[in-house]
Amino acid sequence: MEKYWQIEKMNLKYHVPFHVLACVLLLAVSPLLMGTENLPAADTAKVLEYYVALMGIVMAPPIFLPEQNRDIRELVFAKYTDSAAVYLARLLGNMLILGVLLGVYLWTLKNNRCEFPAVRYYFGVFAEMLFLGGLGLFFYGVSDNYVLGYMVPVIYYLIALGSGEKYLKLFYPFSMSAERYAEKIYLFAAAVVLTAGGVYFRCRSHGGICCCSRPRIRS
Amino acid sequence: MFGQLFISECRQLTRSIIYWLSILALAFTFVAQLGGAEIMAEPKKGQAEYGYKQSDDQDVIMRMTLGHLLEEYSWRSYTTYPVGFYKSVTLSEEEEARIGEIIEETTGLSGTDQVEKKISAWYSAQTGGGEDGPADMAKPMEIEPAAGLDFARFEMLMDKADHILGGGSSYAKEYRGSNAKVPMTYEDAMDAYRELVEKDSLTGGYARLFSDYMVIFLGILPVFLAVSRGLKDRRAGMQDLIYTRQCPSAVIIPGRYLAMVVMLVIPVLVISVFPLLGCLKYASAAGISADVFAYVKYTFGWLLPTVMAVTAVGMVLTELTGTVIAVLVQGAWWFISVFAGTGRIEGGMYGWNLIPRHNTELNWKGYHENFPQLASNRIFYACFAIVLVACATFIYSQKRKGRYRLSWKNTGRSKK
Repeated sequence: MEKYWQIEKMNLKYHVPFHVLACVLLLAVSPLLMGTENLPAADTAKVLEYYVALMGIVMAPPIFLPEQNRDIRELVFAKYTDSAAVYLARLLGNMLILGVLLGVYLWTLKNNRCEFPAVRYYFGVFAEMLFLGGLGLFFYGVSDNYVLGYMVPVIYYLIALGSGEKYLKLFYPFSMSAERYAEKIYLFAAAVVLTAGGVYFRCRSHGGICCCSRPRIRS
Repeated sequence: MFGQLFISECRQLTRSIIYWLSILALAFTFVAQLGGAEIMAEPKKGQAEYGYKQSDDQDVIMRMTLGHLLEEYSWRSYTTYPVGFYKSVTLSEEEEARIGEIIEETTGLSGTDQVEKKISAWYSAQTGGGEDGPADMAKPMEIEPAAGLDFARFEMLMDKADHILGGGSSYAKEYRGSNAKVPMTYEDAMDAYRELVEKDSLTGGYARLFSDYMVIFLGILPVFLAVSRGLKDRRAGMQDLIYTRQCPSAVIIPGRYLAMVVMLVIPVLVISVFPLLGCLKYASAAGISADVFAYVKYTFGWLLPTVMAVTAVGMVLTELTGTVIAVLVQGAWWFISVFAGTGRIEGGMYGWNLIPRHNTELNWKGYHENFPQLASNRIFYACFAIVLVACATFIYSQKRKGRYRLSWKNTGRSKK
């Protein structure tokens, strides 16, 4: 346990402070951009699903970032601790931060006299965050391309904003605004699969599909 | 040297997954949003309806603005755009009471019950008395102003209501006119159609609509390409090798930049061929003289400055920091621009938005009257992009000379 706590400490100290700051800023400026007081449930869902959930895109991809350099990655992968465990420790840490930030934000909305089912919305938005983040992690893990880890969830978000409901169906991320919740369960399931897939590909190919073309040392 | 580098950069982009994903996203947007769109046919006499237009009759403005206020009062939710963003405002009891007083003075209705009865009566009358009629298809709510209410007093009270709502509501001076949407007559519809086929040569209006959808994606996608390209040399371990080459920074960076912009504009031009062919087919059947180059003009005039600015932001921030911070910065700018344009999608109010909106093939008048505003906007972003590229070139040259080595990680370690 001590080992994983050390991993998370390093993560918090060197790798995610900027991302956490970006998330805090995102939440802090929200009252300037949209209503955050006296909102009924549907409008609260809009704020959470369209805006707050974007934190998932910011916080998930950095878990692979410290080993972006191939030499460092090979060194880390040669260690006794399984690299998948390292990634999962970082992922849990980042998700915990997201969970706390989301909780604080929902508490603020409640204090601002917004009416909504807090627990239901908390898990609904968290599922969306995990999905958007998982999408980024999966494509980052498969391609070993950090930028792609941001690009794919952003495109998904754009498509959802446009004609999303028609094409995304069960994976439509803004369902709570339309007073539906079933999609959140599918999003959560997909998030688990995508995250596991991303970590698997990252560990399996030592850096994604791109690495397959690298010359291998023959024994 | 520049030409050679440009071609080499274009080749590299064709091998980039980011580039192909960008094209896929643009193609998807086109198919999803405009793929099934039909060309507006000439209005025929005796049609059930011809759409709506904005009225400048003071009585109509009063009736419709007050009707809208009654509806929002009954919903206890008001839509505003205080700083250009959509904001749903729910008032406190005290503020709600003040809106109630304004309603009483302007319409004579007192309390929520009377308001709800009035709204219910309006929609019942619209739907033939049935409770479950198609309210969405009914005329927007209107109400006769209270006896003796003149337009000056009405304006004062609406300003007060807007103030209570925090500004940017439908009752603000600049938005009041847009409440007064009245059904178009056959003559109005013909005028709008004539504008489309004569003033806009048909393709002009559809090219604006095409640009409106494309600019949303082009307000963010280029940054991924720029960041990815900016980080590529270092990842591939080629940075130091390139630094030592004789090729000047003023060739490398502008060459890369131009390659990215050109390679992003080409797919847009290719996609635009499909709606253009649809327009030309319709135009030849209807005997309309269409402008074949409209899509090219709008791609360069409307979309190119956005592509230039976004690419330049990605490039300069990546050179400056060596991180993907440009994605977050541009993401924030995109979000603000898109939501700032939400209340202005019908065109004619372009302002200084990076993503100017005009979500209709009509409203040539709005476009024409505000063209200087739009042109200033587009020229500003094109110039802004050139300045940023110059900055990126300067940063790159300093890095080559070893005078600038800032990256977030280096800074962190140097403090130890």
